[in-house]
Amino acid sequence: MYLLIVYDVGVERVNRVKSYLRTELHWVQNSVFEGEVTGSQFKRIEMNLKRIIDEDRDSVVIYSFRSESAFKRNVLGVEKSPLDVIL
Amino acid sequence: MTRKNYYLTTDGLLKRKENTVYFLNKDSKRPIPINKIYSIYAYGALSISSQVLNLLSREGIPVHFFNRYGFYTGSFYLRETLLSGDIIIKQAEHVLDNERRMELAKSFVRGAALNMKRVLGYYGLENGISDTLSDLESSGSITEVMNVEARIRSDYYSAIDGILPEGFRIERRTRRPPENMTNAMISFGNSLLYSTVITELYNTQLNPTISYLHEPFARRYSLALDLSEIFKPTIIDRMIISLIKKRAIKVEDFEHGMNQCLLNDSGKRKFLAEYDRRLGKTVKHRELGRKVSYRRLIRLEAYKLIKHLIGQKRYEPFVMWW
Amino acid sequence: MSMISGLEGNPAVRGLQINYYFICRTKLWFFSHNIQMERESELVKLGRLLHEESYSREKKELIIDDLIAADFVKRKDCLEVHEVKKSNTMEEAHRFQLIYYLFYLKHVKGIENLKGFIDYPALKKRTEVSLNDEDVEELKNVIKDIDGIIRGPPPAPQRKPICRSCAYFELCWI
Repeated sequence: MYLLIVYDVGVERVNRVKSYLRTELHWVQNSVFEGEVTGSQFKRIEMNLKRIIDEDRDSVVIYSFRSESAFKRNVLGVEKSPLDVIL
Repeated sequence: MTRKNYYLTTDGLLKRKENTVYFLNKDSKRPIPINKIYSIYAYGALSISSQVLNLLSREGIPVHFFNRYGFYTGSFYLRETLLSGDIIIKQAEHVLDNERRMELAKSFVRGAALNMKRVLGYYGLENGISDTLSDLESSGSITEVMNVEARIRSDYYSAIDGILPEGFRIERRTRRPPENMTNAMISFGNSLLYSTVITELYNTQLNPTISYLHEPFARRYSLALDLSEIFKPTIIDRMIISLIKKRAIKVEDFEHGMNQCLLNDSGKRKFLAEYDRRLGKTVKHRELGRKVSYRRLIRLEAYKLIKHLIGQKRYEPFVMWW
Repeated sequence: MSMISGLEGNPAVRGLQINYYFICRTKLWFFSHNIQMERESELVKLGRLLHEESYSREKKELIIDDLIAADFVKRKDCLEVHEVKKSNTMEEAHRFQLIYYLFYLKHVKGIENLKGFIDYPALKKRTEVSLNDEDVEELKNVIKDIDGIIRGPPPAPQRKPICRSCAYFELCWI
């Protein structure tokens, strides 16, 4: 499964959400992460995000795709963080 | 494969911040999600903090180190977590009993040879591998088995030379240092594959230092040498031939010295990218009835060995079926 | 090896071994010889998350003698031992795992006033399990049987629908 996560959360929690997601997925640009996950990883991400955010105020949207090939990715302008594995 | 291999080809620093790993080199600072790493291959000069090592160890992620020639120098191999006394005893028993050791050693050579034959067959190259292979059964010692293997491999390389363009021919196998471009790629690729096998063995109960074809003192992780033999033709050699034939890799991708030749930075990066792509390629597995990646095929080989050792199913080496 | 009174001559078994006995003998054999695959298992990981999610407040694992690992216990007027499971398709395996815990706590640890429950949070269902003579008799036979299986050669795997999602799938069928 491939996830794309975008979030809009209170300033007090934004760093916690970001640093948590950094351990699980690739940072794409401000408030956007993506990456391939297993079913259990998906579940874990959901659970942990719920713990961090304030469910009455914050908003996290998770788009899930069957695989990376289920969508196209076009970058206009600058690719802020390429997903290479060769560094 | 939701976890990936990361290949650090530039000089830099691996740092931990909170629970994420950052790779810093002169051009950039890149976060690498800890839950996305399967293993790390370090080709440049790498500084690494103990905080990072602790995190990697906790997550079961090995780091393999290579010198500037691309030769394997060592691994940060984690605290063993999968241990089975029974398996270690069985592994040792199969070395100490000569008959059992010979059976496994011959299987590894047979597997390697049949895969070489498949590679040559793919390019329509005639070869006498089957004839030489018949000498394997009558071999009575590890030295004889090794000799059969060496003869097959030497015929194999000269057969491959028949389809390689001028300048890329192997001519003869030279190792330390490799003397020409294809030798450089073979050495680089074999070290890489060896490390990949170490990662897979780490994820099983097999002790990587107890081996059958190679003497257990040949190298630190000599069982990884045994299993590498089987996969070199399918993974490394096919890839090298294809890189050359498609002109994906060129003379400019090497550093040519007096009597030695090595992949340069661009060459290494091309090679690693293609290797990574191939490890992730999947084939439908006949027995399992599901798709498995090339990387997984190595793990499956370790499982087959476990089943052989405990007497559940006789080991038959992987031979490419597609 | 500690002996269990009432089960003289039989070595100590772990709760999961009782569970695996009802599910698959091959898995039981591998697991008992420390050829364990649980680390690879998506199902095991999901199960652990489910447990965390459903019972984070009550969570209090009970681990005794390395043999018993009940998911949580609650102390009221009696000791409640709970096992949390995803689905009830393996009910017999779950039931005997819990019976073993109750038996062990009672006969080895001398704890009275025990109650056992299997919780299926996803199904919003809870089943009570209590010790009776008939089950205890069967439990003793199961333990004897497990011992025999482990001492013998590895059993050939039998293809079942559950193989597909089992962590031992590749090991069995390669």
